[in-house]
Amino acid sequence: MAAKTPKRYPETKVLSRNFDVDKAWTFDVARQRGAYRSLEKALGSMTPDQVIDEVKTSRLRGRGGAGFPTGVKWSFVPKQTDKTKYICLNADESEPGTFKDRYLMELDPHLVIEGCLITAYAVGASMVYIYVRGEYPLSIERLWGAIEEARKEGFVGKKIAGRDFHCDVVVHSGAGAYICGEETALLESLEGKRGHPRIKPPFPAVEGAFASPTVINNVETLAHVPWIIENGGAAFAKQGIPPDPADPRSVGSSGTKLMGVSGDVQKPGVWEFEFGITLRQMIEDYAGGALEGRTIKAVIPGGLSMPVLTGDELDVKMGFDDLKAAGSGLGTACAIVMDDTCDMVQACENIAHFFADESCGQCTPCREGCHWMEKIFHRFDAGQGTRSDLDLLENLFRQIEGRTICALADAAVWPLRSIVRKFRHEFVAKMSPDEQRAEAEARSARQPAGVK
Amino acid sequence: MSASSSPEPVVTINGTAYPYEPGDTVIRVAHRHGIDVPHYCYHPSMSPAGNCRICMVEVVGSPRPQIACKMACFPGLSVNTDSDLAHEARADTMQMLLVNHPLDCPICDQAGECHLQDYSYQLGSGRAVTSTPKTKLPKNQPFGEQIVYDAERCIKCTLCVRFCEEITDTNELSMGQRSDHEQVIMTSAGEFTTRYSMNIVDLCPVGALTSRDFRFRSRLWFMDFVPSVCTGCARGCNVTVGARMGKVLRLEPRENQDVNQWWMCDAGRLGYKHANSATRLGVPAVRDASGAWREATFEQAIQAASAALAEHRHEERPGHVLLDGGATLEEMWVARQLAAALGGEARFAAHVGDDGDEFLVVNEKGANARGAEALGLARVKNAADAGAAVLVIERDEHVPADLRAASGAVVAFVTDASHVPDSVRVAFPFGSFAERDGWLVNVGGRVQRLLGTGEAGPSAVQPFQAVAQEILLDLDAGHDVLDDAALETRLRAAPGLADLVWPPASREPAEVSS
Repeated sequence: MAAKTPKRYPETKVLSRNFDVDKAWTFDVARQRGAYRSLEKALGSMTPDQVIDEVKTSRLRGRGGAGFPTGVKWSFVPKQTDKTKYICLNADESEPGTFKDRYLMELDPHLVIEGCLITAYAVGASMVYIYVRGEYPLSIERLWGAIEEARKEGFVGKKIAGRDFHCDVVVHSGAGAYICGEETALLESLEGKRGHPRIKPPFPAVEGAFASPTVINNVETLAHVPWIIENGGAAFAKQGIPPDPADPRSVGSSGTKLMGVSGDVQKPGVWEFEFGITLRQMIEDYAGGALEGRTIKAVIPGGLSMPVLTGDELDVKMGFDDLKAAGSGLGTACAIVMDDTCDMVQACENIAHFFADESCGQCTPCREGCHWMEKIFHRFDAGQGTRSDLDLLENLFRQIEGRTICALADAAVWPLRSIVRKFRHEFVAKMSPDEQRAEAEARSARQPAGVK
Repeated sequence: MSASSSPEPVVTINGTAYPYEPGDTVIRVAHRHGIDVPHYCYHPSMSPAGNCRICMVEVVGSPRPQIACKMACFPGLSVNTDSDLAHEARADTMQMLLVNHPLDCPICDQAGECHLQDYSYQLGSGRAVTSTPKTKLPKNQPFGEQIVYDAERCIKCTLCVRFCEEITDTNELSMGQRSDHEQVIMTSAGEFTTRYSMNIVDLCPVGALTSRDFRFRSRLWFMDFVPSVCTGCARGCNVTVGARMGKVLRLEPRENQDVNQWWMCDAGRLGYKHANSATRLGVPAVRDASGAWREATFEQAIQAASAALAEHRHEERPGHVLLDGGATLEEMWVARQLAAALGGEARFAAHVGDDGDEFLVVNEKGANARGAEALGLARVKNAADAGAAVLVIERDEHVPADLRAASGAVVAFVTDASHVPDSVRVAFPFGSFAERDGWLVNVGGRVQRLLGTGEAGPSAVQPFQAVAQEILLDLDAGHDVLDDAALETRLRAAPGLADLVWPPASREPAEVSS
């Protein structure tokens, strides 16, 4: 175990600069604190391509979980097309344990809208849809309020900021399906259809909402854009973790990130850090560490959909590549902490239940497999699991992962597989005495004497 | 991959290069060249859903199998449909499909033509890997009047949903619920607005959608299937007729891109009932002196008919032969000869509806009306023109009761005993569409083969051509008796017919696919 870092890793308030300001969600307060200045700068002194280049320079990566370079995504949008182009803001923050976008939408909606409008200008879109999860009524209210205010002030609608740029912004409320956070399911839902993910290609940048070129980004991603325009992509790229010089394809993890901790900690919450804080620093210095008298057993570093890290693996930097190298992933960077009172079998049952319930039902492996896994975990919890069930689970993980249209199935497999592998002993402990004996015999047969 | 210098791009499947056209998917190229790629949710007429995952193939150079139904061909693409990885991927999918499947094959109507069953034999191990309780879903749900849905058997391929969206554009169906509770639901108030709804029963790769008309009536392997055409209207949709023990049990569309693609209408599909009528005339019947009917052998009946027609000719009443618009070219040809011997002409009558649409159904209901016109037969539209010596009737709606009564005919060939008018003295059984062989000309001028099955109808029905020519011999000793092959030769060369679109000259019917 590494010694606790003596110096507290600092917070960097970029996205969260207005979180503590009273009524920052109103136009007057927001404007006073700089809202729409970047939009005016972009419209007044930059071409759309310059905006895209600035974002490419910043090496900004998508904050929704996959970490795709944002500027690159924008550049896929065809320049020459007769179709209306759309910006679709993915505000369907439905990942368990994740509540970072909510802060942005509730406390600084003008920043979110400004980011959308700059993006619209960059790719030539004339319509922004903000798809907000239906369980966020305050976000919806604040966004609508901000849109109407901005419209009155000339920042939404025709002739934005007096320039020849027209773009409208609309909030669309989701209906509570996890799958509608998947970008193509979101588009289907936006179009009024059942939230079934689409097969890619075509990618949304070419054929998205209403069969037209569409940029879909996470709330936090686009909220970064005004700062990048104001301060330059290079300044943004200086923050965080630089690319690995040994790997020419490495993008690094630039800028700041809203990160959160929930679960078995003293003070759950959301903070903004430059990439580079370790998971342990965040949990211990900011979230107050484990509850009194308990120890941390496992952490899922980003949402629910990433492989779990054990309490011994927390000294990993919060960054896209660092967490991937550690066998997990950044995901939404909102960690879920489980302490020593957590029954990992029940945790698996709970996780599997979530994905079984939220699977859209489209692809065979996910539709049938997620509930199948839940039933098996339930069997373990009831003391009826066997060693062959663990083999069956491994087999199911293999059969489900990468065999479906969208990544929901992968998201189900990753945490479950990592828990089953890292906490096998907890599953064995719930088996019958005969099974436990067989497991012990198999272990001793596998390992030479003297090796623990 | 450098740009290929060959004019046609190729894709490699199982080590062999095959040309493809722009926009082709791997599964299309494979199927075009006879390479088997299993599929459930794929149908060539619809957008790929990519959800069943049974068509997964190995892409050389990729660790993960890909779905062939959505994978676009590009130069340099190399796939294997027969490799270990492809087989493993399919077997995995089968396992997932079967984990909640009820496995009620012994009571399922699809057994015998079920793709789940077929691939299970091919790919499955036959050994259950789990005792996990299966998910319970609704069974025996009515979808409209004709279709029954079983959500447990359903593999959620969405073919039926996409059919109602993309083919008929009527959107009666949708997927409902999520996860392994997903099921097909009706969006309309329990009724189909489309007249093509029962095609979803054929589309369904498993026994989830069954036809209320056919379900529980026979195991498929006891039935005889012949490739034929529907005689419900002049479109002439290609069908497969399934029959058993004297009864027609099912009509299903058979693919013909020039006529009906893969589909047929519900009315045509259910328009076989007259073949199974309880009042079918099974043997010839002759009126005795008292006017009462008595059964006769064909020889006796032919003698009686010849005598009656000779008398009729003597009386100088109209010697016409009035045919059902669904009669074959052969029947019309012989009828024309018979009419000539009686001093009249062959005519036909056929119902004209007003329900034609832009898809398949046409207003002209006479399945061979176009052929009759090509042969120069006049059309009888009302009772005033109906005078005839001989009637040939399969369907009531073509030669309705008023025409029959007004005809004054003395000899009738009828499928149903109830169609014999009072004036008739000799009645012969006439085969339904499922019992007769012959050529029909559809509304587009395409000559198609009607093929009978020995399993349908009464067992002793003799073809009209044979009986009529026997009568002709009695009336006119110099007449040449022609068999069907000789008739066909004449028909193919006949004025008005020679220009039509004939299939190649072979009496062998096409292979039955189902």
